[in-house]
Amino acid sequence: MKHFSKGLFVGAFVGALTIAAPLSYAATLKDQLVIGTSLAQVLSLDPHQATEGKAVEIMSNLYDRLVNSTPDGKIVPQLAESWKVDDKGITFTLRQAKFASGNPVTAKDVVYSIGRLLKLDQAAAANLKRVGYDKNNVDKLVTAVDDKTVRIDFSGQVTAEMLLYRLAASTTSIVDSVEVQKHVSDNDWGNAWMRTHSAGSGPFTLNRWSPNELVILDANKDYVTGAPKMKRVIVRHVPESQVERVMLERGDIDVASAMTAADLATFKDKQGFTIQRIPTGGFYVLSMNAGNQYLSNPKVREAIAYGIDYKGIEKTIMGPYGRARNVPVPENFESAIPNPDWPLDVEKSKQLLAEAGFKDGFSLTLKTIAQTPRIDLATAIQASLAQVGIKIDIQQGNGSEIIAAHRARDFDLLIPQTSAYMPNVLGSMEQFSSNPDNSKEANNAGNFVWRSAWDIPELTALTAKASMEPDAKKRGELYVEMQKLFVEQKPAVLPMFERFEPIVLSSKVQGYVGHPTQLTRLESVTKSEAQ
Amino acid sequence: MKELSVAEFGRRLAHLLVSLFILLCVTFVIGRVLPTDPVGAIVGELADPAAYAAMRTRLGLDLPIYQQFFLYLNGLAHGDFGTAVLTGNPVSSDLAQAFPATFELATLAVIISTFVGVPLGLVAALFRDSLIDKIARVVALVGHSIPVFWFGIVGLVIFYAGLNWVGGPGRVDVFYEGLVTPQTGLLLVDSLLQGETEIFWNALGHIILPAIILAYAAMAYITRMTRSFTLEQLSQDYVIAARAKGVSPTGAILRHVLPNIAVQLITILAISYGGLLEGAVVTEIVFSWPGIGQYMTNALMIGDMNAIVAATIIVGFIFMLLNFLADVAYALLDPRMREAAR
Repeated sequence: MKHFSKGLFVGAFVGALTIAAPLSYAATLKDQLVIGTSLAQVLSLDPHQATEGKAVEIMSNLYDRLVNSTPDGKIVPQLAESWKVDDKGITFTLRQAKFASGNPVTAKDVVYSIGRLLKLDQAAAANLKRVGYDKNNVDKLVTAVDDKTVRIDFSGQVTAEMLLYRLAASTTSIVDSVEVQKHVSDNDWGNAWMRTHSAGSGPFTLNRWSPNELVILDANKDYVTGAPKMKRVIVRHVPESQVERVMLERGDIDVASAMTAADLATFKDKQGFTIQRIPTGGFYVLSMNAGNQYLSNPKVREAIAYGIDYKGIEKTIMGPYGRARNVPVPENFESAIPNPDWPLDVEKSKQLLAEAGFKDGFSLTLKTIAQTPRIDLATAIQASLAQVGIKIDIQQGNGSEIIAAHRARDFDLLIPQTSAYMPNVLGSMEQFSSNPDNSKEANNAGNFVWRSAWDIPELTALTAKASMEPDAKKRGELYVEMQKLFVEQKPAVLPMFERFEPIVLSSKVQGYVGHPTQLTRLESVTKSEAQ
Repeated sequence: MKELSVAEFGRRLAHLLVSLFILLCVTFVIGRVLPTDPVGAIVGELADPAAYAAMRTRLGLDLPIYQQFFLYLNGLAHGDFGTAVLTGNPVSSDLAQAFPATFELATLAVIISTFVGVPLGLVAALFRDSLIDKIARVVALVGHSIPVFWFGIVGLVIFYAGLNWVGGPGRVDVFYEGLVTPQTGLLLVDSLLQGETEIFWNALGHIILPAIILAYAAMAYITRMTRSFTLEQLSQDYVIAARAKGVSPTGAILRHVLPNIAVQLITILAISYGGLLEGAVVTEIVFSWPGIGQYMTNALMIGDMNAIVAATIIVGFIFMLLNFLADVAYALLDPRMREAAR
């Protein structure tokens, strides 16, 4: 009996192996690109609604805009084949393009799309609203001259260059007005339908979106510059970094993003893979609530700025994710000023605290989203500030919890992140240097500086002036002035690290170039033979 | 006996419904007081206060909580679980999509854990303190103490990345995605119904590892319980008598012990099944399995309360239903319970 049992056990085991063995798995096909990432934040694929990075990456392949910005920041034609700038506005001439539905792209679609963006009036509209376009004036400012000509007049708060950059964003995507209007219900501008369908003229169309599972894009064979090389693009939700790593190693995905620094490190110098470190122009920031009794004192804020070991954290924690920098403008941008002299200096920091009247230190809470690398960053700041005498109590939460606290000014310290919407000083800095009304009643929760209750009227005025300056040279001077003033004010929104998005690619993939504002286009991506 | 059974049945059913209502209340209240912000998640971080407020009103979040609760109950009475923030779909249609994936996984897991756990427990009891018994106990202990998460990753590294025996995360290889039209929602069944045998085998290769890993903890429990039930029976006079009459150990187990522990086994299998449906959360995340566990986790992340409450109620309902059915089976099958009732 005993022998029988053992025999049975061994037999079953061997049997299981032989059943399992023939099931072998092919790597991804040559004409399909598979991207592994976290889709948890993707809530909509309506370009006039969604602003989340991963959604933008998908939508930028479904839709075209009038103009496009290249990864190195140049404005190039997309649906507009040319444009003329005059004193009052810009006139665009459209190229002969078609939507995936077969309808031609006309000036009417452009007018409809920009109107739809502003009348739907969600976060996506913020970019244009910030420079004076809104649902009330859009019909007057954006008009169709003829079938293939569109006129956009200046709002009075924007220069031609600033407007072009905004028109290159995914939020100003041009949608198929005929198709969208077929799906309007309850005056929703077709939003309910558009969240899960596409009506664009981009190189791909949306085949399927299952939230938190996958997104399948099909090649648009009639795309104006020819069908993309990839027949399908599959974006797969892989929430677990280690699992993503294994899938990439195994060849089941071709491109991986949203990995932890530790998993990323395993691909360094590994044959068959390359790491791309995409600059975002944005920052990991320490927001200090200037409404707090301690943090309202600029000396305390300066003490904190001296109390963080930027270089050490860059080396041990940020790795591919960030580079130490305390001015909210990447150092390779034109007119960027050198870093202020705020290295870790415990003695100086203590002295500043003493001068501020807090010789014995105090306690603060630090809120952060429990996510790589922010959570490790919080721990490092806690350790570093402990040496100065500031006791930090870390409170972790999920995205909506922490953002809600940030919006409600309900925090002492908090670690948000930013990104630049254009590759110039204003594009990365504006959100750090403008707060038109700091009163509680203004309730301007959409403003990053307001959330820190940091009152900066002078800097706000200077920012507005710079954004209206048409002369590039004078603008450059204003940019330098803005940055200097920012540093002088001992910022309550303290940039710590310039932010990068690292991705890992299989070397089978060619032509994938990550875009700083996630407008990564996939039409020219190719794949070599599966290895 | 019959009348009593009906009364008993009714009492237990009422108990089930009350429990369910309490679960609903608690989940709803917790959901509404959590510091999450579904409105911000929808309109975006930088939306202006007017758009924010408009969305808040549209979701009914500006009403007092009791009114929200009554509105919710009213909807529920009409079979409407509300709309999910995450997907914009009615929660019921989301659940109809996510639940089959979990159901398929948990069902396979309960089958595996039963067909391995029960025989292993029997054998372990039969050869008490032998090598096989020790192995069974170690297996059970390990299954109970090591986190599923760790098991999942290690399993993937060995069997998927290393040996290439099983498929990776997800229900099927990517190039098969979207080729089978959901009918039952169970991919194994649907692919067979549509004659897509290649996809069936591929899907089987994908489900086998998560199912085994999910099954393992349940199997450990089932093995341990079967072993102790069996040991208890083996020391009973009737088994000793049977053995004395020359019945072989295997015969004694099959003919005498098994029927006697069947009722207890049904109870623990039902509990395990409920636990598997509920406990698939971690497994689903590790294996990118688009089931109810992952749906709930993501809903929690953005504070999508309609989705969370509905998913909790469904899982809770199934758990309670299985317990209820186990109780009923117990009452129907166990001769002693029938005696007591009389």
